[in-house]
Amino acid sequence: MNIELTDVTRTFGRNKAVDGVSLAVGPGVFGLLGPNGAGKTSLLRMLATVLPPSSGTVRLLGRDPARPAARTEIRRRLGYLPQNLGYYPAFTVAEFVEYFALLKEMPAGQVPRAVAAAIERVDLGPKAKSRLRTLSGGMLRRVGIAQAIVNEPELLLFDEPTAGLDPEQRVGFRALIRDLGRQATVVVSTHLVEDVGAACSEVGLMAEGKVVFRGAPDELIAQGAGSELGDSALERGYSAVLAASRKRVAA
Amino acid sequence: MNGPDDIDLNRVWVNVAAEIWRRQPGRAERTAARLLRSPGLARALVTTPSLLLPWLIATTIVFAVGALTQLGAGQPLVWLIAPAVAAVGIAYAYGPGLDPAWELSCSMPVSDRLVLLTRAAAVLGVNAGLGLIASAATLGTHVSTGTVQLTIGWLLPMTAACALALAVAVAVRSAIAGAGAGAGAWIILVLAHGAAGGPAGAGSGLSAAALSSVVADANLYLPYLAVAACGAAIVAFATRPQRGLL
Repeated sequence: MNIELTDVTRTFGRNKAVDGVSLAVGPGVFGLLGPNGAGKTSLLRMLATVLPPSSGTVRLLGRDPARPAARTEIRRRLGYLPQNLGYYPAFTVAEFVEYFALLKEMPAGQVPRAVAAAIERVDLGPKAKSRLRTLSGGMLRRVGIAQAIVNEPELLLFDEPTAGLDPEQRVGFRALIRDLGRQATVVVSTHLVEDVGAACSEVGLMAEGKVVFRGAPDELIAQGAGSELGDSALERGYSAVLAASRKRVAA
Repeated sequence: MNGPDDIDLNRVWVNVAAEIWRRQPGRAERTAARLLRSPGLARALVTTPSLLLPWLIATTIVFAVGALTQLGAGQPLVWLIAPAVAAVGIAYAYGPGLDPAWELSCSMPVSDRLVLLTRAAAVLGVNAGLGLIASAATLGTHVSTGTVQLTIGWLLPMTAACALALAVAVAVRSAIAGAGAGAGAWIILVLAHGAAGGPAGAGSGLSAAALSSVVADANLYLPYLAVAACGAAIVAFATRPQRGLL
């Protein structure tokens, strides 16, 4: 298993953002669904080794990220697209992707080809020499995806990757993560249910900091049988699971 | 023999694009990559000028605190806290407030603390150099006995402490060890100088005036420069050219 979480909790003051999550995820595409404030981003930041857990144990790629040497090894094999991708406006697309390839400690000789391949995979070849400040929001998102995949990571974490992408680009992105998921563990956090249905082999649904559902997309669809809340079968399953979770909390 | 149909055009194009888009690192970046044993760290260092606002803020804080020490000449503790305030300014210039890609940088194997330490050494080194040039240019005038001299008085020790910290950090690949060595050396120097009573007229024992004399004592300027040079030499020795780097 590339991700092993045991009773992981993360608190910010009195707020419990992640509440006792236990999860084991192997290669494939894992979709993390949930409403705003469910704890998806906090969980993803812990998987990205940016945020330590308040309690519980995390093992990534068979290593303990609490140990500095192991954390460095994990980070070499990690790709991360944060929800808010900060960028340097004066950098070109190629310079930005190259910068993070170097920070990922890729051998310098391999960097130019890896950068070119990553930029081509997100269809930004014609913009490779363009300054980031001249790009649209959707293009910047693809730059973020390119830097995440440049080191061919074993563990890929995408936080709202399709935000700002047009429908055609979203279709292309889903194909890309299906392809990446053949060898790596890809975690996609999103509130767009259709992305999960089209690209993910497994789904986790978070609410109030807990994972309240885990299974295949078809199993989530089955949860919505008889429900009328939602436009698609997957949305009905999503809404039904959330409603049941809220009822349990209220009770 | 393969015909044209067997050629993977995508693969060919990626190789062509890699050559077209390849950035040629400048001499400074190649040297920094060799000295720091990390092309990523070198790139983070040489991109600092492109992150102009953080650089300007850090520099302004460094010189503003230098001026403050002149105003507070009668308040010796200002001398001791000034370096810490400047370091906080540099740290903030790298933190989430001003570095847009900070969140992403935190997930990288190149330690963000090492990047911070390298940038701090760069900012202080450049400012110390500027201070030395300004001091030489105004030699013999009333300016050279004023703010410039005092600024250099603590810029030099900070540069020396930072160079030592960077040398240790690069040699043992631990920013925490480096920061500990730099801070430890500084504390030992301040206490030892204070215990010795500092220069004539600074008082005796561990008084605030004696402690602060460590940054005001002109006799220590050369030792500070020597420590900074030794730090650089240790970095150079510990990071002899290796294959795989720029």
